[in-house]
Amino acid sequence: MTTSDKFLSELINRLGQEYVSVDSLEKLVYAHDFAALPKFVKLLFNTTPDVIVRPKATEHVTEIMKLANEYKIPVIPRGSATWGFGGTVPVKGGIILDLTGLNRIIHLDEKNGLLTVECGVVWEDVIRFLRKTCWELPTYPSSALSSTVGGWAATGGIGYGSLKYGPFVKNVVKVTAVLPDGRVIVVDDNSDPSLSQLFGSEGILCVFTELTLKMIPKNEAEMPFMANFSNFANALMAAQEVLRLTRPHSLVLRTFGFVRTKDYVESDAYFFGCFNDNKRDVYEQYLKLDSIVNRYRGYLVPEDEARREWEERFYTLRIKKWGPSILGNEFIIPVHKILDMVRYCWQLGNQAHLDVEVEVIFISKDEALMFPLFLCDERKPIRYLMSAAIAKKVLDVAIKVGGRPYGYGLWNFPFMEIAEPEKKGELERMKSTLDPQNLLNPGKTIGAEVTLGLPLPGKLYSTFMDGVWVLRKVI
Amino acid sequence: MFIIPKLQLEDIFACAQCGYCVKKCPVYYFLGWESTSPRGKMFTLKEILGNNSRLDEQKIHKLGKPLSMRFFSCTFCGLCKEVCHVEVDLLEIWSKVREVLYELGIVPESIIKLSETVKQSKNIYMMDNTSRMDWVTYTGADVNFKDSAEVVYFVGCITSFSGRVQSIAQAVSSLLNYVNEDWTLLKDEWCCGHPLVLSGAIREARVLAFHNVEMIESTGAKKVVTGCPGCYLALKHEYPRLLGKKPKFEVLHSSQLLSTYITSGRLVVPKSDITLTYHDPCELGRISGIIREPRVVLQSVTDTFVEPEYFGRESICCGSGGLLKAVNPSLAESIAQRRYGMLASTNVEVIVSACPTCVQTLAQTATTMQNGKRVIDLSQLIAEQVGLM
Repeated sequence: MTTSDKFLSELINRLGQEYVSVDSLEKLVYAHDFAALPKFVKLLFNTTPDVIVRPKATEHVTEIMKLANEYKIPVIPRGSATWGFGGTVPVKGGIILDLTGLNRIIHLDEKNGLLTVECGVVWEDVIRFLRKTCWELPTYPSSALSSTVGGWAATGGIGYGSLKYGPFVKNVVKVTAVLPDGRVIVVDDNSDPSLSQLFGSEGILCVFTELTLKMIPKNEAEMPFMANFSNFANALMAAQEVLRLTRPHSLVLRTFGFVRTKDYVESDAYFFGCFNDNKRDVYEQYLKLDSIVNRYRGYLVPEDEARREWEERFYTLRIKKWGPSILGNEFIIPVHKILDMVRYCWQLGNQAHLDVEVEVIFISKDEALMFPLFLCDERKPIRYLMSAAIAKKVLDVAIKVGGRPYGYGLWNFPFMEIAEPEKKGELERMKSTLDPQNLLNPGKTIGAEVTLGLPLPGKLYSTFMDGVWVLRKVI
Repeated sequence: MFIIPKLQLEDIFACAQCGYCVKKCPVYYFLGWESTSPRGKMFTLKEILGNNSRLDEQKIHKLGKPLSMRFFSCTFCGLCKEVCHVEVDLLEIWSKVREVLYELGIVPESIIKLSETVKQSKNIYMMDNTSRMDWVTYTGADVNFKDSAEVVYFVGCITSFSGRVQSIAQAVSSLLNYVNEDWTLLKDEWCCGHPLVLSGAIREARVLAFHNVEMIESTGAKKVVTGCPGCYLALKHEYPRLLGKKPKFEVLHSSQLLSTYITSGRLVVPKSDITLTYHDPCELGRISGIIREPRVVLQSVTDTFVEPEYFGRESICCGSGGLLKAVNPSLAESIAQRRYGMLASTNVEVIVSACPTCVQTLAQTATTMQNGKRVIDLSQLIAEQVGLM
């Protein structure tokens, strides 16, 4: 019996056959996430897991971590795999920890508005559950129809409602987490490690299994809005004024750039969002919005149309069908740099002959989450690989203008050193303390490893991508 | 020689892998493994796609039965298509893949048996097809066999042969008589072919379609009415594709016909204080878009009509679609129990649906529950209210 056989039989003994799979089809579909991987990636990394486990309780996660430590096998936590930075893609095989089976809504503290859920609960289920109560979620992701609560805690935690109520981390009271050695800890703002240290650590420090979320009392009124503008600059100026004079729940700005002629045509743009408050305040804010939109020569669409757009807010990738593939990146940038970044994205799209959509979710008066999408076609592998460097080019400039990536995972890891060196240092320190064997989601966020466990220097990776971009022009 | 059909490449590659379908899939809800989800299956297809945009035969053979089981463990409820981020016609893709698997002989044993049964006996029960009209004797219904009529009532295999739902045929025929409709049954009705289409046996389905269209057209009927959403789908949407031409008759589901009778005043239904909920059959509601008409009919009966959790286009499958009952009966049963639980939690007296398969499945589930609710078809409900049953 080989080590892996022994490990597998022990895993099955401890958890039960129904929670473990080594089926070849299963391995195939768990070897990727949201993003389409260029074929060459499989030469660099062993993206195929050895085994997939679907735990049903925190105790299962503990057992798996202990066993992984004993046999020195990597563990890759995975929610709904809706994050496109390779965070759930194995780099040297190992165990995929599919956490979607931990999907119970445990308890609602009706008096204090605190909701305790398991990590694999999908946001939509939480929203649906709360409809029958007098509470609602302050913030939720744009992928709420499939992403999990634990997944969002491990990644960015910025989405709808973050503008008014802050990021997800500010709306969590405590979490139960399993550390890489299998210990179970309860974490809050005052614990060591603290909530903010573990939040957004992209599954390299711990596995969240239970979370207690803060709710807000249901607002009396909700008023979606949408305004069209003939150019992006006007839309952006109007949006900034909306941020200054009103308190929207969310504000999203979108624009398109199409390679129809030799040069990019300054495209039109629109923003949409929602006010939620008491009836009177909502009405007053809407009046202010109306005058702002008029001032910037925009057009406020009828209420039913705005409501439709608001209901469509989870469908941000409709445009993908025109690709049929997309390349892109997500980063947080200062609001006053949005216009420059959008123009740069259009310029890049023009150079690479790719259509562009840019979405901007405002998270405060000063910062926004930007999501440029470049339409491309993965069926043309060489061109696709060449174009893939566009994601890096965008981020290079975003960091230069004071931005930072929304996530690192596998694809953005070289940027942490440049964008957030202090955070990197802290994560490295915590990683070496909590996970000395480097078993929990190895080769991500703070450094990458290729198939044989060789480190992949960030600079080498960056130089390679720059080379690909130059080569694109030649080809 | 079978040529593997081309798949819509844009659709396969457009799949955003967002997982909106994963969360909704009733099969994934119980199995939980990614490969059983629509997203997982789309990714698998991408991996086994050849350069010519056809599925690679060698790769299919290599993956063999496990691959086939994934594609046949599906209720064809269409929720995946409904929530698709990039509006991919997933049902079309699942149908094409089943067709390929059937032609390559990689289908579950139960599917082979089912398609052989339909081919031989012209019904899904391996019964002598001449006994198709026995329900008339069993129920004592007053039916017509005419050479020509305005309307043909296409009964369907389940309603004809399954004792539990033969009363649906009795209800529909009594209502047609009640409104003095000029109608007839077909003298030699064959299976509509929908189960064969779901099996992937397209050529065999074509034979049945040809026969049924010929029979219906020979009566000169302008309308065909059926109480079975599977037959409705076959007659209305699959026959034109199978035969390459649109038949000369209009196809209606019984709920549509009843709704027309009620709104035109041709059928007056006395109001009652009965409390009801309605289960939208997937093939009728979400797939065929017939959501309003059954509600028009229900609201003519009572003011205490309660919508269940998930209704209309969001309705959840009862577990009996897509031939899942033949492939994985225990899974189908679990799905049925889940849906029944949602319907029963509305605390009404009667659960109504508009599909013999849904009624049969939910009624069967009700019998396994304590204080199981009464489950009936819409046509039965109306026939009872009018005093015909």
